[in-house]
Amino acid sequence: MQRRDLLRAFGAATALAFIPHDAMAAWARVASGIRPAAGLTDAQLMLVGAIADTMLPRTDSPSATDVGVPAFIDVIVSENYSEPERTAFLAGLEALDSWTPPSASTDSTPARAMRPSPLASLSGDERARILDAIERAPSRRPEPMRTYWRLKSLVVHGYFTSERVSKDVLHVEVMPGRFEGSAPMRARNASPSRDMHGAPHA
Amino acid sequence: MRETTHFDAIVVGSGISGGWAAKELTEHGLKTLVLEAGGPVDPNHDFVEHVQPWQMHFRGLGDRKLLEADHPIQRECYACDEMGHKFFVKDGENPYTNPEDAPFRWFRGRQVGGRSITWGRQVYRWSDLDFTANAKDGHGNDWPIRYADVAPWYSHVERFIGITGAREGLSQLPDGEFLPPMQMTCVEQDARPKILKAFNGERVMTIGRAAILTKNHNGRLACHYCGPCERGCITQSYFNSLGSTLPAARKTGNLALRPNSVVAEVLYDPKKGRANGVRIVDAQTMESREYTARVVFLCASTIESIRLLLNSKSTRFPDGLANSSGLLGHYVMDHHYGSGASGTVPGFTDKRTIGHRPNGIYIVRFRNVKTQHPDFLRGYGMQGGSSRAGWGRGGGTPGYGAAFKQSLIDELGPWSLSASGWGETLPNADNRVTLDANVKDKWGIPAAHIEVRWRENERAMDKDMMAAMAEMLDAAGCTDIRTHGSNNPPGHCIHEMGGARMSTTASDGVLNRWNQAWDVKNLFVTDGACMASNGCQNPSITYMALTARAVSHAVTLMKQNEL
Repeated sequence: MQRRDLLRAFGAATALAFIPHDAMAAWARVASGIRPAAGLTDAQLMLVGAIADTMLPRTDSPSATDVGVPAFIDVIVSENYSEPERTAFLAGLEALDSWTPPSASTDSTPARAMRPSPLASLSGDERARILDAIERAPSRRPEPMRTYWRLKSLVVHGYFTSERVSKDVLHVEVMPGRFEGSAPMRARNASPSRDMHGAPHA
Repeated sequence: MRETTHFDAIVVGSGISGGWAAKELTEHGLKTLVLEAGGPVDPNHDFVEHVQPWQMHFRGLGDRKLLEADHPIQRECYACDEMGHKFFVKDGENPYTNPEDAPFRWFRGRQVGGRSITWGRQVYRWSDLDFTANAKDGHGNDWPIRYADVAPWYSHVERFIGITGAREGLSQLPDGEFLPPMQMTCVEQDARPKILKAFNGERVMTIGRAAILTKNHNGRLACHYCGPCERGCITQSYFNSLGSTLPAARKTGNLALRPNSVVAEVLYDPKKGRANGVRIVDAQTMESREYTARVVFLCASTIESIRLLLNSKSTRFPDGLANSSGLLGHYVMDHHYGSGASGTVPGFTDKRTIGHRPNGIYIVRFRNVKTQHPDFLRGYGMQGGSSRAGWGRGGGTPGYGAAFKQSLIDELGPWSLSASGWGETLPNADNRVTLDANVKDKWGIPAAHIEVRWRENERAMDKDMMAAMAEMLDAAGCTDIRTHGSNNPPGHCIHEMGGARMSTTASDGVLNRWNQAWDVKNLFVTDGACMASNGCQNPSITYMALTARAVSHAVTLMKQNEL
């Protein structure tokens, strides 16, 4: 690709500026802190945030809550999900919050003692133990496993499609200007997936 | 000033075929009116391929409630998503019907540029294997043309639009006028010779042939590999009529383009035995208007052109214009596609891709080329590609915490390689389009009733696609090979063809060897409706070639005062 031609023809900034105003306005509304009507409660957002940050904690890159993952999940659950899906998700979230690993019942310690408080108020390590048990469950289909995996895929999607992570962590190139089919791996910041664009189709 | 209502030529539709008709007619000096049912498109504002997920309200997951309300059918097309739905019709305004036991998906784009904005861009020439198929096995009628009739027109079109591909020298898939090929990935490069060797050189995996520029061409810029072509392209790097044929037509000074013009019928003059012109309904004001011309080209898309002809009734043609054969609407086809296999490719973990290749690999038709397969007639090509899973894999894989996050940032999943078949459908008289007497669209035009079914030959071929692809993946050294069967209903491939087929005699079809109606000599149909069979290749390049060829013939006749 003749990058200079491209820049000459459109101007570097212009090429990136063709953003539909309605789409931008919609996200700007959420980004500014205005929540969806009938969205998640504060407690639900806190729970989602606690789980999301256990999955994707702050390191030298931002955490899930640092880049607004709970707000994204609020938009999906409140504005994208159908009513039955939304109801099921919220019920699943509640079940997740009070879930006790099955092994706890065989433990000499009473289950409640091991889970003295809802998930959000546990220490990070304690919460990680719960997540670990959920991920090791033999089936992902029963609740709260079902909701957990739905949530996880939303957390990952929300995190890696955020502006900050796209630009500063993944260094996504909007116009790569070339296709290389056999490029070496870099030590860090591997190429993002093509998930957003789908597979090539005739 | 009164609006001009008489032209040398009228073209119905501004997409892939209509754009070519407009370019060729105007370049021959004919004052040409192009009528487009949908509204104008301004690439500077409407093309949205560079909008990033974080700039979308649903981050690319789709405005599901809007899609369910406005596009319940269209949304099944991959391109009708959060950004691209504006290039698809609203289903409520554009109804069609089908028998309950014969589902059909009709994906439509009404705007200047038509479906050329969202098309898949794959371009494969037909060969005589395709043009002689009906004659050989007796399904459908013999084509009135052969490859030699179309070959120079393929070249004419390819040189103008710019297509990328690799020369293979295969008789069943002739090479075109290629710009440099796109790269295969390391695993595709590795698989190609292994598959060639395992199947006696008969199964050729080549890089996809696509109407995408790999270098600057005819004033348009080379691809910058951003990925989602179906949302438009500000650099005009893939072919659509909006950035290519329509500007060429405009440059002649002979083009008049009228958007928001829903053509309701072709007007017939029984005294002269000719098409007078067309009657339109203005999509916005609902007013009726008439435009006249010496010659009329229908390029409205397969089912729209059939519907338009069926709705153009007169004393002479009570069952639809140019339908003395009674075959109008019959022999409608689509490719049955999507069955195939995928596998994991061991190794190559130190390699990745850079850029989004808007193209894949193509496995050239190998069935019923030299020997006859016991289970089915005709054949299929396979399309697919390879990739490594990116961060998206994190949603389904176990893990959490700092190391998990870092692995999604730094690493990629294993390589996967997959492909699926695009299969030829046997022409069948019972696969047909009629008018629904009870349902009308927003503009009062009777809706199409579409009855198309997959039959035994298609189902047998689907099975073979899975088995054959699994064998090839095995030969390529893949592990964890899984086959996938497709439940796509007819129409889903968006390769609808036939219904006004070309034929050697007037009693055997609707159009002659020049896409000219047997019954109405100044009427031409050059979109997919003209097809007598459907090959297994993506058809648009053939429509373009046939359109340019038909215009050349029409112009010759006009100069001889025969039209």
